[in-house]
Amino acid sequence: MTAFAEFLPYILSGMVWTLGLVAGGVGIGFVIGLFMAIGQIYGGNEVKAIIHAYVWFFRSIPLLVLLFLFYWGVFPATGFKLDPLACSIVVLGLRSGAYQSQIFLGAIMSLGDTQLLAARALGMSQMRGIFHVVLPQALRISMPGWSNEYATMIKDSSITFALGVLEILTRTRYVVNATHEPLIPYFFAGGLFLVLTYAGTKAVNIVYERTKIPGLVGRL
Amino acid sequence: MTETNVVLKVEGLQKSFAGNKILDGVSFEIDRGQIKVICGPSGSGKSTLLRCLNLLTMPDKGRVWLEGREITNEESNANSVRQRIGFVFQEFNLFNHLTALKNVSIALEIVKKMGKDEAKALALKELEKVNLANDAHKYPAELSGGQKQRVAIARALAMNPVIMFYDEPTSALDPHLIGEVLDVMKKLAQEKLTSIVVTHEIGFARTVADEIMFMGEGRILEHGPPSQIIENPKHEAVKQFFRRINELYRRDEQ
Amino acid sequence: MTVELIIVSVPIGVALAIILGVARVYGNKAVSLVATSVVAVFRGFPAIVTLFIIFFALPDVGVYFSPYWSAVLGFVLVTGAYQSEYVRGCIQSVQAGQSLAAQALGMSKPQEVFHIILPQALRAALPGISNEIIYLILYSSLASYIGVQEIFGVARTFNSLNFRPIEIFLTAGLVYAAIATVCFLGFRLLERRFRIPGLGATR
Repeated sequence: MTAFAEFLPYILSGMVWTLGLVAGGVGIGFVIGLFMAIGQIYGGNEVKAIIHAYVWFFRSIPLLVLLFLFYWGVFPATGFKLDPLACSIVVLGLRSGAYQSQIFLGAIMSLGDTQLLAARALGMSQMRGIFHVVLPQALRISMPGWSNEYATMIKDSSITFALGVLEILTRTRYVVNATHEPLIPYFFAGGLFLVLTYAGTKAVNIVYERTKIPGLVGRL
Repeated sequence: MTETNVVLKVEGLQKSFAGNKILDGVSFEIDRGQIKVICGPSGSGKSTLLRCLNLLTMPDKGRVWLEGREITNEESNANSVRQRIGFVFQEFNLFNHLTALKNVSIALEIVKKMGKDEAKALALKELEKVNLANDAHKYPAELSGGQKQRVAIARALAMNPVIMFYDEPTSALDPHLIGEVLDVMKKLAQEKLTSIVVTHEIGFARTVADEIMFMGEGRILEHGPPSQIIENPKHEAVKQFFRRINELYRRDEQ
Repeated sequence: MTVELIIVSVPIGVALAIILGVARVYGNKAVSLVATSVVAVFRGFPAIVTLFIIFFALPDVGVYFSPYWSAVLGFVLVTGAYQSEYVRGCIQSVQAGQSLAAQALGMSKPQEVFHIILPQALRAALPGISNEIIYLILYSSLASYIGVQEIFGVARTFNSLNFRPIEIFLTAGLVYAAIATVCFLGFRLLERRFRIPGLGATR
């Protein structure tokens, strides 16, 4: 037990990497997802086809396989020298973009045509209408889906241990190898992820409640 | 067990919800073959009363006897009590995942442990009684409101209850569908099926009821034959209620 | 091996999900608390951590599972926990009137839940459940790290012998994608077959 206590700070410092992975992944995913959702609704047929293929690809292939595919295969082949952390963030981001695009798609569709029609009737261009009227509402409606995406991301970040990224699980494994006592460290790691997940989803829920517009309900 | 003509006896029923007293001492009796109608303004506790009588809601105080046996004490089994009371809801509450036929037969199979074929035959007979034998294979979502309610009546009848409770059976129906349900209820009343009907349909009450019980403030304010209650009530609240209704009817006639 | 793993884990996982869902809605305080805790733990721990605990940590307290059965146990717990959320939500969304009608006919609570509530709730939960099963197919790749012979592990071995990462991992990925897509289409058909005319989410 005391051996573990010594290693506690080491494991906890992995949180920085974990949160970095999550922030980077969700952030990249946000941008990609947003553009793809808009493209899926307002884009032409070729655009839609490409987006559908992208979403299918990144949602049908396991994260583990994607990580290896990009780290050992794609990036070296295209000349990019990315370290495990950066590569992981990119892959997590690409994948998250696929999922978030569906969240935004659902949110925008639940608003219907009327909002954009009203905006254009006032003289706004398509782009302005989307940006100023549809998006703010859609983003808020998306929050429940987001907290889900965040929760998934926190836990999926642990899979990057396979590339050696120094996040919580990787460090825990090192500790287990050193102390030959797997029980407490792994439970601790699990508990840590649980707390991070719970804290994060709680935070998103609070923001969701605070920004509540009377009468407008997010479709889950 | 004494042979009794009193199907249901209620004494001093009380029920509160969140500090509000909904039922404040309700007492009455109903004999075999009688049809009693309960009316009164919304919120007077009519639905709550029915639900207490078949123990869907447990009363706070008071006692109820069904066919001479008390059902509000500890020994009574709520499930077997409810088998003997037929209940028709305002919102129909048909089982959405079952056909009309299955809706009627399922309780026969599960609760009364009837064989599948026997239950099916009995269910079909009950659906014939409510003129829906041809729609037996349809699902609730494919039926109109009036058809749904008739299936609900058939479902309750199939259990061979000793008394029927109707909780505002036509209030959720479009006007042109009310008639078909009332016709079924009239037919059953003519067959002397003991019934308590909570309704706003004064015309129905006038022609079919043996007695009207007027509820207000959680109690039965006045009860008597329809001619008395509707045309010549004694209690002030009852007078006001029917005065307004009569005005409404008279205005329509003009 | 992957396919075997999934074929075994899925039915048990679904069964667990129904048990947990029913326990949380209809159980007394103690039962409900246990069920809620189980769900919270296995939704909060990353799947890989759960697998590691079962395979690497439990032996410390004398409980030994083979790689295959560790994986099955782990996936059953994880997918059961996630699916139980859908089940629970759908049970609660079955209208209260259905319950009242069942009681009014004299059905006991178990009869009501089994014959009236669950058939409707499970139909509604089918999209969510099938979603989780697809996730399971993808997460099965993690089992290679506790010694199970499955697609990703095989791919890695290949890659260390003949270093052709793009071909190998792309193929592996597409195999998973194929399995997942077939299952997805299969579930769509299943949903259609179980659809009750008129009953369904309004879009």
